[in-house]
Amino acid sequence: MSAELRDRAAQAVEMAQRAGADEAFAFATKSRDVEFQFRDGALEKVKDTTSRGLNIEVYANDRFSSHQTTDLHPERLQDFIAEAVAITRALEPDEFRKITPAELFRGRPSDDLDLVDPAVAAISREQRLEWCRSLDGVATDHAKVISATSGIYDGTYESGSVSSNGFSGSQSSTYCWYGTSITLKDEGDRRASDGFYAGSPHVGQLPAASDVAREAKQRALARLGSEKGPTVKTTMVVDSRAAAQLIGRLMNAATARHVQQGQSFWTDLVGTQAFSDKLTIVDDPLIPRGFASRHFDGEGISARYLPIIEAGEVRNLYVDTYHGRKTGMKPTTGSPSNRVIGLGDLGLDELLADVGDGVYVTSWLGGNADNTTGDFSLGLRGHMIEHGKIGRPVGEMNVTGNLKDLFSRLELVGNDVYPYSSTLAPSLVFGGVDFSGA
Amino acid sequence: MTIKRREFLGHMAAGSAVLTMPAFLQGCGVQGATAVSQATPQNPFMNWFGVDQATAARVMSELTLRGADAADLYFQHARTNTLTLEDGIVSTANSGIDQGVGLRVVIGDQTGYAFTEDLTMPAMLAAARTASSIASGSTVTAPQAFNPLGSGDLYTTTVPWSDVGIDQKLPVLRFVEQKAKSMDPSIEKVAVYWADGDERVMIATLDGRLVTDHRPMTRVTVVVTAKKNGETQTGYSNIAAREEFGWYTEERLTKMVEEAVDRTLIQFEARRPPAGEMPVILASGPSGILLHEAIGHGMEADFNRKGTSIYSDMVGKKVAAPFVTVVDQADIPRERGALNYDDEGNKAGRTVMVENGILKSYLHDEISARQYGLKPTGSGRRESYKYAPMPRMTCTFMEDGPHTRDEIIAAVDHGIICETYTNGQVQIGAGDYTFYVKNGWLVEKGKITAPIKDVNIIGNGPESLERITMVANDARLDTGGWTCGKNGQSVPVSQGIPTVLVSKMTVGGENVG
Repeated sequence: MSAELRDRAAQAVEMAQRAGADEAFAFATKSRDVEFQFRDGALEKVKDTTSRGLNIEVYANDRFSSHQTTDLHPERLQDFIAEAVAITRALEPDEFRKITPAELFRGRPSDDLDLVDPAVAAISREQRLEWCRSLDGVATDHAKVISATSGIYDGTYESGSVSSNGFSGSQSSTYCWYGTSITLKDEGDRRASDGFYAGSPHVGQLPAASDVAREAKQRALARLGSEKGPTVKTTMVVDSRAAAQLIGRLMNAATARHVQQGQSFWTDLVGTQAFSDKLTIVDDPLIPRGFASRHFDGEGISARYLPIIEAGEVRNLYVDTYHGRKTGMKPTTGSPSNRVIGLGDLGLDELLADVGDGVYVTSWLGGNADNTTGDFSLGLRGHMIEHGKIGRPVGEMNVTGNLKDLFSRLELVGNDVYPYSSTLAPSLVFGGVDFSGA
Repeated sequence: MTIKRREFLGHMAAGSAVLTMPAFLQGCGVQGATAVSQATPQNPFMNWFGVDQATAARVMSELTLRGADAADLYFQHARTNTLTLEDGIVSTANSGIDQGVGLRVVIGDQTGYAFTEDLTMPAMLAAARTASSIASGSTVTAPQAFNPLGSGDLYTTTVPWSDVGIDQKLPVLRFVEQKAKSMDPSIEKVAVYWADGDERVMIATLDGRLVTDHRPMTRVTVVVTAKKNGETQTGYSNIAAREEFGWYTEERLTKMVEEAVDRTLIQFEARRPPAGEMPVILASGPSGILLHEAIGHGMEADFNRKGTSIYSDMVGKKVAAPFVTVVDQADIPRERGALNYDDEGNKAGRTVMVENGILKSYLHDEISARQYGLKPTGSGRRESYKYAPMPRMTCTFMEDGPHTRDEIIAAVDHGIICETYTNGQVQIGAGDYTFYVKNGWLVEKGKITAPIKDVNIIGNGPESLERITMVANDARLDTGGWTCGKNGQSVPVSQGIPTVLVSKMTVGGENVG
């Protein structure tokens, strides 16, 4: 299969060169995705699809463009690629647009990333239904449950990439996720809801469906009676699942692209102690079974361990080849893989005990950040921390500040990693945070 | 090279929906499709997809072999084309073709779904068998032929985007860049993002309808970065519609550029407001985001038939003052959210969600309409052939009220007025929703005073509706390129509102003292 996809990519590169491209980089994809949704005792939706696509980047006369199609009919594909080359020629020349230099293809790791579990393709309808019934049985077993929707999502993804300057590679992966979202009757017309999902490339690595449903139910029940929290400046403890998303916001502008476009608060931070010495973040593409593990990135650059922040000091940014040329930075990779946050010593309970009073955030609701300045404001749900323990549920609150400032006030880091994300983050504790509520 | 699929659930919150205004999304296409050679089709859309009546009937028959209450084939061909101007040159283009057919079987509230990008008979029959596996009943009679319904005229074009060359588009991008650069010496960088597209859909239904729709779309975004005294600020503006090339007049583009520059430069002076609860004035137009989040999503009938929306038991009840009327309307010519037919082949039109303060109607797709014993409201939408449809908004707005903007501002002693937004989100069950205010102003003693920026506002849907105490007479739809996300599917939407006063909302900001 990989060979077939590489052949398809190679044919596309050849078509582009025949049509007048100087260089081309193509990748072909194929995927199968199955989805079972089960609601309140009955199967609600079955979706089973096989999909394919072809992507090609064309370089001609110092010009560049990218294209993608799902129409692989040979004659139409030829026309599509010929037109892609014509589009490229109609653009303006850009001295910085060049195909990835072949030296960046070298040193490709050969670590077994263990991303493919043949058992995923063999999951039976009966197995999916059994998981559904198990999730649903636990999820709906409570007097306050209005509705619970459980889901099984599994599939296989394969790609083959080829470039005109010698790149050739394949990547394959499987995934299997399941979990449930639960809605409970709360005060008046209000409903309390939350959910939990677990996933892995390997079926055998998943926690029992009933345990996943119990976690979802516990999270939903914790929302009952939630009220608007106070307007206060206090300590914020972010749970590991919400922390992964907060780290994502911090890292969004840590790219050469954002810096070059004048849209990054990370500008001039490399080599400086920009954040709390409690903060370490590494981009590690070679974690076995990691959700974003890979041997090479979208430009064909060989994967390597990339420290971003070490004890608060910024080491590297995400640098793609184009913006690397524009800024004079050495390319690292333009796209994140697994982001691993350095751990502390304490578990969540110990963190809360240490903090004493504050706000414990379990999920975000909307909000945004300005990449240029780092200013952010986010809606949140969680609990008050009272006497070192999780207290009453609160919501309808915002937390507002500046990302650079916030992460310079990171006071404690937990040892409890949320495993179902490519950002492997523990609970985080920040001092002196502005909350708005009642 | 996306591998995000592997962790797509990681960030999925239970029962939440997201509205975003990304500065630069995929836009649209260039390539002509050649029909697959098959028996002489009559309908031009059939010709386009290389599918004739007999083929469609054969696939429908296979799809419904094990029974069906409803079933449809959703053929789609979408072409997109984007251009990027950065650092003074138009140096990047993207084009895309996404073609396929989605096959759906519905039994009660159960759905079987499959799709294929391969429009040959064996591939379509295989997908039909996969989709039909949800059913276990007996064969229903599929139509032998489909009856073509008239096509709508909300966004007909004289020149399709596929016939507009890059040479015509480049001067538009350069005009926008030059205009922005000329407006203030502090402007360091200008980026312009162009998108156009043509989408053709053909829907064949079990009850014998054949619906076709040609949906154009275009959007231009300008991003401005300015520097003053070592401080950098970025702002943007965009305009989007189901329009053709001639829509981009100098006047329209200039207005967009002025907005982007104004929004950027004001940020050098803008501060965070004090945190906490206060009266919030929502300026006309983009503030329609309030309706989208506070009520629109909660009125989508899939949430209500499952009982998971805070509005599940509220139809017929008074939810707002008598001068509040909230509408979702698809048949507004050329708006980004406009639709002739929805993605289940039903005529899309006007649904009054709140009439004079009384909750009137949910937004229905066919599944919820059958369950409630009502006619569908033409609200069944999908991102593409890869997805089953569900109830969605189109153009959501509030009608004019009895007050004026000046009266509303004069009525506020201490609060804020919000003008531009980047995104919003809602928690369907609790009714809590948020939107992110990019630009606004403090209102003190009945006057607009200092600029504010970057604050999230959070409220509760039904509570906020009750707290709408004034509605002005200046309703307008926003021309921005809003995209609504729900259960992993994105669709274009429009929104609008007159200036309104919400007597109390929670505003993100800094704690004073």
